[in-house]
Amino acid sequence: MSTFYLKIISSDRVFYEGPCCSLIIPAIDGEQAIMAHHEEIIIAVKNGEMRMQTEEGGEWTYAVLGEGFCMAANNRVTLLADTVERPEEVDANRAREALERAKERLRQKQSIQEYHLTQAAMARALVRLKETEKFVR
Amino acid sequence: MAGLREIQNRIRSIKDTRKITNAMYMISSTKMRKAREALEHTEPYFYTLQAMMDRMMRHFPDVSHIYFEKEEPEEEHRLGLLVITGDKGLAGAYNHNVLKLAQQFLDGRDAVVDLFVVGELGRQYFTGRHIPIEENFQYTAQNPTFGRARWIAEKLLEKYQSGELNEIHVIYTRMENSMLSVAEDKKMLPLRRPVMPQIPLDVRQEEFRIEPSEKALADIIVPNYITGFIYSALVESFCCEHNARMQAMESATNNADELLHDLGIMYNRARQAAITQEITEVCGGARAQKQKSNN
Repeated sequence: MSTFYLKIISSDRVFYEGPCCSLIIPAIDGEQAIMAHHEEIIIAVKNGEMRMQTEEGGEWTYAVLGEGFCMAANNRVTLLADTVERPEEVDANRAREALERAKERLRQKQSIQEYHLTQAAMARALVRLKETEKFVR
Repeated sequence: MAGLREIQNRIRSIKDTRKITNAMYMISSTKMRKAREALEHTEPYFYTLQAMMDRMMRHFPDVSHIYFEKEEPEEEHRLGLLVITGDKGLAGAYNHNVLKLAQQFLDGRDAVVDLFVVGELGRQYFTGRHIPIEENFQYTAQNPTFGRARWIAEKLLEKYQSGELNEIHVIYTRMENSMLSVAEDKKMLPLRRPVMPQIPLDVRQEEFRIEPSEKALADIIVPNYITGFIYSALVESFCCEHNARMQAMESATNNADELLHDLGIMYNRARQAAITQEITEVCGGARAQKQKSNN
């Protein structure tokens, strides 16, 4: 099967650059899969799990995504997110602590802005935890 | 001519100061290298984001969103100004350049300007002049991280979204090259629409489908863009601060070396003069004794 050129960029590094066969990303209203010669599209990406298959029938590579977007054009796909981590890189303890902190903060009175920040922090922590738990088994 | 002891004291104190300036030079150079590395790692992200912004503006020129410039400028102006200074002095003209530009910015307009200050020196400057500061972000100039930038961006965007501010500027120091850095005033929001390039009719333009909507996309991209912008501004300022400090400390060390050289010569001269005088005295005394015994 044909492949497309994929580039995954996070705020602190280039996570992946090279050919890819199939890519599944968490869009705002559910998961989206991208394969070779996808129509030209820009997709907003939310916190969640991403997976890609670099060759036909090959193994799936998982990663945790932060907010960002994904753009496909001319059989080249650029995925840009503020964080991209492999499940084994996620520090479960840190994520758990972050979740606790966020929960603690939610109980207290806070401004709308703080509320949004806490919610975002909580969403990030939850996605990370979910991902690590899946791979610990 | 000064006494031997005074010159010696002076030399000792200059040597001590030189040790400090030399150490500061080294610290600044390592800190700058680290910050530069961090900046290089984020460059692909930032450039892609910027390219994406341009592309979006080009493809959807008619999207109206709060983040984009309106066709006709608004009457009521309330500005936000983010000023990035250092936490400490001893960095040559670095802080002065930024503050001078900020002062010009404030003097040049009659609009209400809300100040957002990063760095201890900026805070001191404005409080000293009784200019109210809307918000100061403490301990952020020393260690620019993405999280800090996100926090600052969140604060600014909240004010912008609620309509409290309708323009946001940032004053920071940009690194022209390793020798030259320039304090700059950049307009961050609303985003300027690019001038439409003339595209020949026979060139195929990509038609993008947007999922889920243009507005949702702008909601994600623009805050990220602003965060990225603030982050790179913080890191560049940090690099410039340390570069300026490095240069200042280097010249201080060189001055100390020069002073030590001059003082060394002065000390040797004084020592020589003292010895000569002693010898003359001894000789004179001996001669006097000889004449006495001859008589």
